[in-house]
Amino acid sequence: MNNLWTDTGYVSINKKGEQLCGDKVEIIGSADDCLTLVLADGLGSGVKANILSTLTSKILSTMIDAGMSIEECVETIVKTLPVCQVRKVAYSTFTIIRIDHNDTARIIQFDNPNVIFLRNGKNVDYPIISRVVGDKTVLESTIPLQLDDTFIAMSDGAIYAGVGKSLNFGWQRENIIDFAEAIFDWSMSAKTISTMIVDECNTLYEGEPGDDTTIACVKIKKRNPVNLMIGPPSNPKDVNMMMNLFFSKEGSKIVCGGTTSTLAAEFLGKPINTSIDYCDPEIPPIAYVEGIDLVTEGVITISRVVEYAKAFLSSNDITAPWANRKDGAAKIAQMLFEQATDINFFVGKAINPAHQNPNLPINFGIKIRLIQELAEYLKQMGKHIKVSYF
Amino acid sequence: MNIYICVGSSCHLKGSYNIINLMKDALEKNNLTDKVNVSAAFCLGRCTNGVTIKVDDEIITGVSPENFNEIFEQHVLKNVQ
Repeated sequence: MNNLWTDTGYVSINKKGEQLCGDKVEIIGSADDCLTLVLADGLGSGVKANILSTLTSKILSTMIDAGMSIEECVETIVKTLPVCQVRKVAYSTFTIIRIDHNDTARIIQFDNPNVIFLRNGKNVDYPIISRVVGDKTVLESTIPLQLDDTFIAMSDGAIYAGVGKSLNFGWQRENIIDFAEAIFDWSMSAKTISTMIVDECNTLYEGEPGDDTTIACVKIKKRNPVNLMIGPPSNPKDVNMMMNLFFSKEGSKIVCGGTTSTLAAEFLGKPINTSIDYCDPEIPPIAYVEGIDLVTEGVITISRVVEYAKAFLSSNDITAPWANRKDGAAKIAQMLFEQATDINFFVGKAINPAHQNPNLPINFGIKIRLIQELAEYLKQMGKHIKVSYF
Repeated sequence: MNIYICVGSSCHLKGSYNIINLMKDALEKNNLTDKVNVSAAFCLGRCTNGVTIKVDDEIITGVSPENFNEIFEQHVLKNVQ
């Protein structure tokens, strides 16, 4: 246990006119133990490429995760993939990044552009051993990890971005390195780094990508726990117990809900100052209480966070509208999606009589469901989630 | 004079945003911005009858754009020194 965490994120854009992406990223395992990321790029585009890359990434991630050797994996891929009727080959390029206990990275590459490795935000050349497996040459590297180490894997769509349009030779690996170094910031998530690079590719392609383009990023972060409390406990006698548990936790604190934040402010013996600025007319303003990092309204704010989480998880979303906004929902999204690695939910099950009014679109069931949905999405982002009910 | 406008979930859904803007405009029109302090409040405990506002210690519920002028005259203009 070394207080580090492996953050992963990826974004793909499809070749112009294609409904399916020929690149596929598969992530298996967890940062607690071993985590394997596979980026596969199928031959051609559309359905055929999609099938090839899906099979490749699924087979490789499952086998590597089970600890099989690279020879066996490559052999299985070669034997399993359907052969293209036009080209008479079964082919998908791939990149495998396997992180063991947040302290060692093993990288295996076959025909994708080489993984970019940033240490302290600067590109570093890493040792590569090439091996011949069957008739294929596979590149292997093993790298001991440090905090903030970042790996950027890509499909060849990224290095051809802009060919014949804004650039003569495309956006080459060196250019992507320059770009990645320029945008690098220790607080950035792997998903944000991927999004910014893919967004740049899309701009170079003038919004009409000539090939499926994918960036997958793996970043070593410090563990950062965030605690979120919503709703008072069902038994009013438990308020002190719930507050005690919540405030004794390590990490940032978010309190959601009018009644809940009033109780929390009372517990801390601090005044609650509600801001009058509606940054977004749909999201109630936030409040300030000394000792709490963020105080927001409850159900309406959280339901917006759930919408953001859903969009964030889709691999084709490169907008992230919450990233620069200042309303309560956007602030929660920034803390949970970008910064947090471990999230503890403290959910009070008290029923607010006012919310049982049939004229209101909010009720008790919705609150619990929203939290469960949000927890599920956060799990899919690779975060460690614990939900406690009071 | 202090005025609090509830921005809790229920009142928010019933239009706190509009009431805040109406209040700010009305105070400006009557040159009261330096005499009256408007802030937001999280849940004044009258969720079923929102939008709820508090003028000094008096709680007024059911504020809407329709009855806003009337309430403003009765509770704010009359009492402000």
